[in-house]
Amino acid sequence: MEGASYNAWRLAALSPLPRWALALLALAAVASVVLAWRGLRGEPRPHRRAALVALRAASALLALFLLAEPAVQLLQTARVKNRLAVLVDASRSMRFPGEPGGAPRSEVVAAFVRDHRAELERLSDRVDLEWYAFGSEVAPVDPAAVARGLASDGGKTDVLGALQAAASGAGGSSRKLAGALVVSDGADNAGLADGLSAAARAEIRALGVPVNALAVGRDAPRDLAVERVAVDDFAFVRNTVTVEATLRARGFGREEVPVVLRREGAVVARGMVRLEPGKDRYTLPLSFAPDATGTFVFTVAAPVYPGEAVVENNARSFVLRVIRDRVRVLLVAGRPTWDERFLRGLLKQDPNVDLVSFFILRTNSDNPGPQEELSLIPFPVQEIFGEQLRTFDAVIFVNFAYGPYRALEIDRYLPNLRDYVRNGGAFAMLGGDQSFGEGRYGETPLGEVLPVAVIDGAGASEEELRPRLTPEGRRHPVTSLAPGEAANDATWAALPPVPGINLTRPLAAGSGAAVLLEAPSILVGGRPAPVVAVREVGAGRTLAVTTDASWFWGFLAAESGQGNRAYQRFWSSALRWLVRDPGLGPLQAEPDASAVEPGAPLGVTLSVRGSDWGPAAGKRVAVELVSEDGKVVSRAEAIAGADGTARVELAPPGPGAYKVVARAEGAAGPAGPADVAATAVAVRGSGPEDSDAAPRPELLRALAEATGGAFSALPGGGLPDLKLADPDVVEIGRRKDVPVWDRWWFLAGLACTLGAEWILRRRWGWW
Amino acid sequence: MSSRHRLIGRRSLLGAALAAAACAWPGRARAFGATSRLQIGQIQHGGRWNPRPTAIRRLGWELARRTSIEVANDALPVRLDRPGLHRTPMLYLAGDGPLPGFSEPERAALRRHLQYGGFLLVDSADGSDGGGFDASARRELARLLPAAPLGAIPREHVLYKSFYLLDRQGGRVLVKPWLEAQALDGRLAVVYSQNDLGGAWARAEAGDWEYPCTPGGEAQRETAFRLGVNLSMYALCTDYKDDAVHLPFIMKRRS
Repeated sequence: MEGASYNAWRLAALSPLPRWALALLALAAVASVVLAWRGLRGEPRPHRRAALVALRAASALLALFLLAEPAVQLLQTARVKNRLAVLVDASRSMRFPGEPGGAPRSEVVAAFVRDHRAELERLSDRVDLEWYAFGSEVAPVDPAAVARGLASDGGKTDVLGALQAAASGAGGSSRKLAGALVVSDGADNAGLADGLSAAARAEIRALGVPVNALAVGRDAPRDLAVERVAVDDFAFVRNTVTVEATLRARGFGREEVPVVLRREGAVVARGMVRLEPGKDRYTLPLSFAPDATGTFVFTVAAPVYPGEAVVENNARSFVLRVIRDRVRVLLVAGRPTWDERFLRGLLKQDPNVDLVSFFILRTNSDNPGPQEELSLIPFPVQEIFGEQLRTFDAVIFVNFAYGPYRALEIDRYLPNLRDYVRNGGAFAMLGGDQSFGEGRYGETPLGEVLPVAVIDGAGASEEELRPRLTPEGRRHPVTSLAPGEAANDATWAALPPVPGINLTRPLAAGSGAAVLLEAPSILVGGRPAPVVAVREVGAGRTLAVTTDASWFWGFLAAESGQGNRAYQRFWSSALRWLVRDPGLGPLQAEPDASAVEPGAPLGVTLSVRGSDWGPAAGKRVAVELVSEDGKVVSRAEAIAGADGTARVELAPPGPGAYKVVARAEGAAGPAGPADVAATAVAVRGSGPEDSDAAPRPELLRALAEATGGAFSALPGGGLPDLKLADPDVVEIGRRKDVPVWDRWWFLAGLACTLGAEWILRRRWGWW
Repeated sequence: MSSRHRLIGRRSLLGAALAAAACAWPGRARAFGATSRLQIGQIQHGGRWNPRPTAIRRLGWELARRTSIEVANDALPVRLDRPGLHRTPMLYLAGDGPLPGFSEPERAALRRHLQYGGFLLVDSADGSDGGGFDASARRELARLLPAAPLGAIPREHVLYKSFYLLDRQGGRVLVKPWLEAQALDGRLAVVYSQNDLGGAWARAEAGDWEYPCTPGGEAQRETAFRLGVNLSMYALCTDYKDDAVHLPFIMKRRS
């Protein structure tokens, strides 16, 4: 027979009987042996009993053999050639030198492939070689290209993902993998970024093949990097924020590294890291208290040292939105009055206001009786005007004089209040017989920042008057009680007259002050006396309300059925304006994301409102992208749609921190000040691929050991003795059944055993 | 004297207590007309609306003497059916004998006054309990603010610490050892006393108290004035003394 063409065999049953029938017959055979055994229990001689049972068993076996019809099945089989995936790292980290001062890692790999390609090709009688490059994606690659040197521009290193992709047939093959050879620096920044975890180990073992590894690169190059910055997305103004920066330093000795935290160029916090040999990660907390609300780009930066592998990773930018938790207002009243009563009631009701009040309930000339029977507390001057002053978003003086309480020396704190305003605080003074000139503020430091010129001793007018909106007041948010100029005028005209005002003068032009509401019937120095005035002074804002009867616009107006909306609206707008509520501006700019990848466009949504606070359809908005050094790096323009919104895309800027400044024509027209809105965005400098130049041969070694693969390292090492899984044996050709049952002696044997049992039983008296 | 007190955080307060302020500020009563001062509007109604004509003037005198509140000389008679009710956010309703019911427009005017932040002190001069002024006033207050029933003011309410720390009631008589109130939005809008506070405050031009206070005598009269001060302070400062900064001081003095 053609034995040469068959290279394997196995036993088979040719019986036409179904398997269950064969199983029943087997049971019957066993039963016949058992019955024989039981029937011979009375036989006193064991050898006779054994002989009879043995004959019965032989008969049963032979009968079964004949019924099952066994045969030898001759097979023609072949072994399948499985795949060996050679995975070559093409990520950007392969551009770093293989060893300090040496050639790039990709060059080291190219030289290795040139030297060892033939050796690898010799494996082709066992496996099919498949070459892949992995970086941003896993793709088949021509080994000749690898030998020439890959471009190495991939944005990530995902060794596990590459292995899984190759195993699942990234090259289009459905055959199994016999093994893999990973040629990489091991600088994984995906699943194995934190090392070979138990989960990763399980995943890699699930591939079921040895992973051989050829590590490229040894000794991390000298590099200092701000590896990570941990901070919340937003912070509360004037509350301390701690930014936790993680620095990584390799190749440094004992050195001190100064680290700074900058907000758009200005240093807000500093720290120092002491480098030690044998330690490469350092965590440094940097704390600061943001002093203004808004969206800002912050940068944690360390100096660049000579010989560093990567300089872009020495700084890392992030965007922080500084918000206020609640507007913290300090209300100080010189005595209990209705003005104080209604303002306090309004502020207490507002859930967005955290109100701290101090009212003078008695003076030294008052005689209420023993102190211990009173609920009065000392006036905490040092606390509120000293240490705690900066924690307030706004300070309001309601008919409060600094002078009468000489022991308290409140005048000592007036420079503090002035500086608080200039540095971004908000201050409002309300009228009364202890306020403005009556409170002798004219020659004080606080007087320097008030929005009106205070004349000490100028007195007050006790004449009932109807205030009038000035041109500035007609479009200012503080005096906007109703949408639209006519409606606003009418709302003001319908309010009750006020019973009197402190006499002050408007400030000269250029002071940043504007009178919004004036008393046309009362002239001071030939000009109408201010009733409501505002001022931008330094980084802060001030408000003057020279009457002590703003409550007339609420409680008194309510009597005639107008309700107290005007009063509520006035003070709500005044407070929001004072604390620079970002939502109060007529122009708003919001970037799509606070941080974008290099090269990606930066989208900004703009929202424009007109002087009536309605959508300013058709308004032109110019947007500029300003770098940290103040240069405009990109410009765009847009025209607001019917809903007052527009969108622009700015040209992709390079890595860094940028301010987005939007400008639209202001309510005063082209000659007047423009509406401005600002926000910030960070363009990421270096991705994870560029930020860490260190090779990780130990990761690749662990990978090889976990899967039973071989390991070697470049430069210096050679091609390891690659471990491959045994290929599967797969039948591909013919088969032939050679029956073994149809021999005459099997039947003769059965007749003999049956006959022998019959004869012996008769002779030994069992039948 | 105050350096041992603590207010914010652990730092002791610098700056002297107001009580120790070395300089007396000349107590000028000048403001922008009467509207800046505390002028109590006394409601004229169809009954005996002014049983103690000198009471409010004397309370004002005591307020000026004891506190920094600037007061007008006398109560301003107001009518609920006339404009100008809102010029006096604090109203005083007294009566001796039954209180005739308000008309619906009067009631609406008073209700609006209270809803927008006004304060009403109701004072029974006849010492009645279940009859006379008491019965009619209760009926009227129930109609005035039907959603805010009269209830006893708890002893720990800020009214009892708005200036003086009080744990007793004052008045010409002591019909009830508590005050009752109707609250709007968490604020006492109406306070009702059955103890004839006005009777304890009333003082003749000659300098004599017009009525003896029973059973507590002059101490009860002093408490009536202190209550009047606290009521005025509450009207002008509401729950100021409930602010967190005051609590440590008040707790210490209460203990």
